[in-house]
Amino acid sequence: MSRQIAIVEDDPDQRDNYADALAAAGYSVKTYGNRAEAFAGMKQNLPDLAILDIMLEDEMDGGFDLCRDLRAIAPKLPIIFLTARDTDIDRVSGLRLDAWDYLTKPVNLQFLAVRVSSLFRIVETLHTETAELEAIVRLGPLQLDPNSMSVRWDSHEVNLTLTEFWLVQALARRPGHVKTYENLMQVTRQSYVERNTINGYVRRIRKKFKEVDPGFSMIQTVFGVGYRWQPE
Amino acid sequence: MSRSRRKRIPPRTRGLSIRTKLLLVSLALLLIPWMGYQYVRDMKGFLLQGQENALSLTARAVSTVLHDRPELFDPETGAPQLIGEPTDIFAYPLPNHIRLDGDPADWGEQLDRMGVFDGSQDQLCGPDYHADALSFGHLVGYRGPYLYVLFEVTDERLIFRDRTLRRLDNSDHLRLSLQSPGGDVTRYLLTARQPGRMSVYLMDESWRYPVTGEPNYDIAAELVPTEQGYTVEMRIPRFLVGSQSRLGFVVADVDDEEKRRVTSLVAATARPEEHEPLNRLLLHSPEIAKILRGLNRPVARIWVLDRQQRVRTVVGKLSSDQEPETSPQSARDYVEFWYDALLRRIYELIVLSIAPTLEQISSEISLRNDQVFRKALAGVPQTERRPSLDRHSEILMAVHPVWTGDRVLGLVVVEQSSNEVLSQQKQVLENVISITVVVLLIITVALLMFASRITLRIRRLRNATEHAITPDGRVRDPHIHAERAAGDEIGDLSRSISGMLARLSQYTSYLEGLPDTLAHEMSNPLNVVNSSLDNLQQEMPLTQRSKYMERAKNGILRLRSILTNLTEAANLEEALQLEDREEFDLVNLVSSYVEGYRLSHPTRNFELDVRDSPLQIQGAPDHIAQMLDKLADNAVDFSSGDSPIMVRLDRVNNEARLSILNEGPVLPSTMGDRLFDPMVSLGKKNAKQSRLGLGLYVVRLIAEFHRGKVQAGNRSDVPGAVFTVSFPLARAA
Repeated sequence: MSRQIAIVEDDPDQRDNYADALAAAGYSVKTYGNRAEAFAGMKQNLPDLAILDIMLEDEMDGGFDLCRDLRAIAPKLPIIFLTARDTDIDRVSGLRLDAWDYLTKPVNLQFLAVRVSSLFRIVETLHTETAELEAIVRLGPLQLDPNSMSVRWDSHEVNLTLTEFWLVQALARRPGHVKTYENLMQVTRQSYVERNTINGYVRRIRKKFKEVDPGFSMIQTVFGVGYRWQPE
Repeated sequence: MSRSRRKRIPPRTRGLSIRTKLLLVSLALLLIPWMGYQYVRDMKGFLLQGQENALSLTARAVSTVLHDRPELFDPETGAPQLIGEPTDIFAYPLPNHIRLDGDPADWGEQLDRMGVFDGSQDQLCGPDYHADALSFGHLVGYRGPYLYVLFEVTDERLIFRDRTLRRLDNSDHLRLSLQSPGGDVTRYLLTARQPGRMSVYLMDESWRYPVTGEPNYDIAAELVPTEQGYTVEMRIPRFLVGSQSRLGFVVADVDDEEKRRVTSLVAATARPEEHEPLNRLLLHSPEIAKILRGLNRPVARIWVLDRQQRVRTVVGKLSSDQEPETSPQSARDYVEFWYDALLRRIYELIVLSIAPTLEQISSEISLRNDQVFRKALAGVPQTERRPSLDRHSEILMAVHPVWTGDRVLGLVVVEQSSNEVLSQQKQVLENVISITVVVLLIITVALLMFASRITLRIRRLRNATEHAITPDGRVRDPHIHAERAAGDEIGDLSRSISGMLARLSQYTSYLEGLPDTLAHEMSNPLNVVNSSLDNLQQEMPLTQRSKYMERAKNGILRLRSILTNLTEAANLEEALQLEDREEFDLVNLVSSYVEGYRLSHPTRNFELDVRDSPLQIQGAPDHIAQMLDKLADNAVDFSSGDSPIMVRLDRVNNEARLSILNEGPVLPSTMGDRLFDPMVSLGKKNAKQSRLGLGLYVVRLIAEFHRGKVQAGNRSDVPGAVFTVSFPLARAA
């Protein structure tokens, strides 16, 4: 049985394009044009993953509200925000609502499909604990599990989003090597990412690590170029 | 933006302030003293008019009293009381009936007026005269129809007449001359053969022989010898002494009984005429004076003149007294003294400037008086003003004719000094001046306060207005609190500025929101195109290799970059507000940045010139890097080929200064700080990159977040531009 994805997007063209692309990737897709419709539909028939736009018709924060409502009925439902709104405040708000990721338009549909499949893989790992496991990366106190896409620091769980996980993974793979902004942009698997956006991601990643270890300083800025993971 | 526009308007030359203008307007208050002066002049006119009328009435009243009493104007009855020539013979009214008995007792108190003739005065006497031989007292009086004359003669030897001698001048005798108005002189000689009644003869010119032998009985005289000499009482009927007559008395002394020659002739009057000791006889008649004395006032002088304009009598006096100036005693007096002196000076300036000069006055007085009197004698009452001789006041004069029947008998002239009026005028003028000064002061102070308050309010409003908008044209606070509650026009202005600011701020926020909204609205259709292309690639794998697909994707990326740039500045401002500041070394950051930039732009020649190290500043290193991005991009864009781009760090006072220098085109001098305003850009269009002119604006935002300043200028060594950012150093450093 194919996984079910719900797409909430008020623009019919984009909605249909997403639906087509995901359907082509083998998912069964349900689309909704506004918040009320979407909530009613999903409440009845809970999808395996939801992709939400933030602005829905007249509601500026319709996506956030919908996310909050969905969290109430399905706390573990993976949710991705896919929106044209590209401010730090929006990102932070989205991720606070326990969204799994926050993507900005325009999005590359192939990347979207990859992302969706990655998320499903995580969900699977969490639920089944089976299948062929990728090697867990250990780097000092850092423990990186590509299967569950979970990160631990000194055995404390660090709650990263998918994009953040990928960035940490990219940096930790080769400690001491500078990952340029261009490299990191690739890693996020979005079609267009500003340097500032990367900076924002790194800032949030640092903050999350510092929550478990205030002395955390493994991610170094190489100004004007990118970042690197501090070697031992 | 507003700042740059303001720069383009040349500042208006600063005009007069409201305060100055109001003060200038208040100069119109100086009309008040002028008004007061006019008023005082008019008032003076009124007062003088009133005084003139009063004088005129007085003159009429006096003349009414004198109407139909021609006897008062008889030349022999009217006599001046106070004036008269010394040669005039005065006749005094006698209190009692005079008996011709040689006893002067019945002359009563008039005896005190007896004149003494002893040659010591300027009297006519013979060549051999000496006072021991002859002197006499002499008194003229009148009562009823008679004139009485009393002689008290001191004579060593009384020689009586010898009847046998025909000549009459060979004994002690008295001579009486009467001159009629026509000039005919009648001479009477009084002589006695024994004490008692004297004989009177009409005499010839030589006083030797009588014209007729008949004695004259109209004139009676009694001679009584005394111890010193003799006393003579004489009675002359008044009809003999007609109007305009003159008369003279001479006492002749004969001392030698044998020779009987006249040794001394002493005239009873001073300075008689050459040959005939003839004088005007003025009967002292107090009647007019008595009438007038009732009208006597200290402030007016009343003259009575007869038809010949001869003064009959004068009473009263003109007062032109000035109050004596007192010298100041206490401090307060001193102030008052100077104040008064100042006022007096001003007053004199105003009043005396219109007074004519002395020469003009004196030449005019007699002429004018003459005219006035002549008119009055024609029967028309007159009033006249003339300046007083001391020029300090005016003399008012009212003239009224005195009638008897249809004939004008004489004139009553009433004169009064205008001193009283003048002193009133002076007082009023001084009051006006004082009040004006006070009023002027009060109004000036009030205007000054009012103007200051208005100016203050306007200034407050201006400051609030200027404060309401940031230098780069943003509305800081759409509500101006200054003067908002005021009910007047300034309040209206404040409210309308508030309204204007509110609308401006709405518009500004619309404009500020526009890029965001635009970006958001465009990104959706962009996403449609993008996702459609993606799906197209999936659906028709052939298109994947198409160059058009490539170009379409490129176009989408560029559009996306435009949108990102559009929103970057706005997003940056929000982001900066959330940013935490940390302390870091700018040198460290910049060196690593330049190193990184060299890596990513291996073709460009970056030079780092660190002159002071370390430079600790407070801020967000990420954003400093972002700022460096923009500055480096800018330098790269504007520098040619492989010319070096210099990054310099140094310390100036308490600031870390970061300069980026490149060689290339110079900055137009007109741009100045506008370079750092949003949507301002220089240079050519680039097909690959969009140029929205937001880069340097971002630099400015970040610099300002670090409390720093940005500057753009041209290099002095080679053609090129230099961009400088100064940051305040952290305190720890």
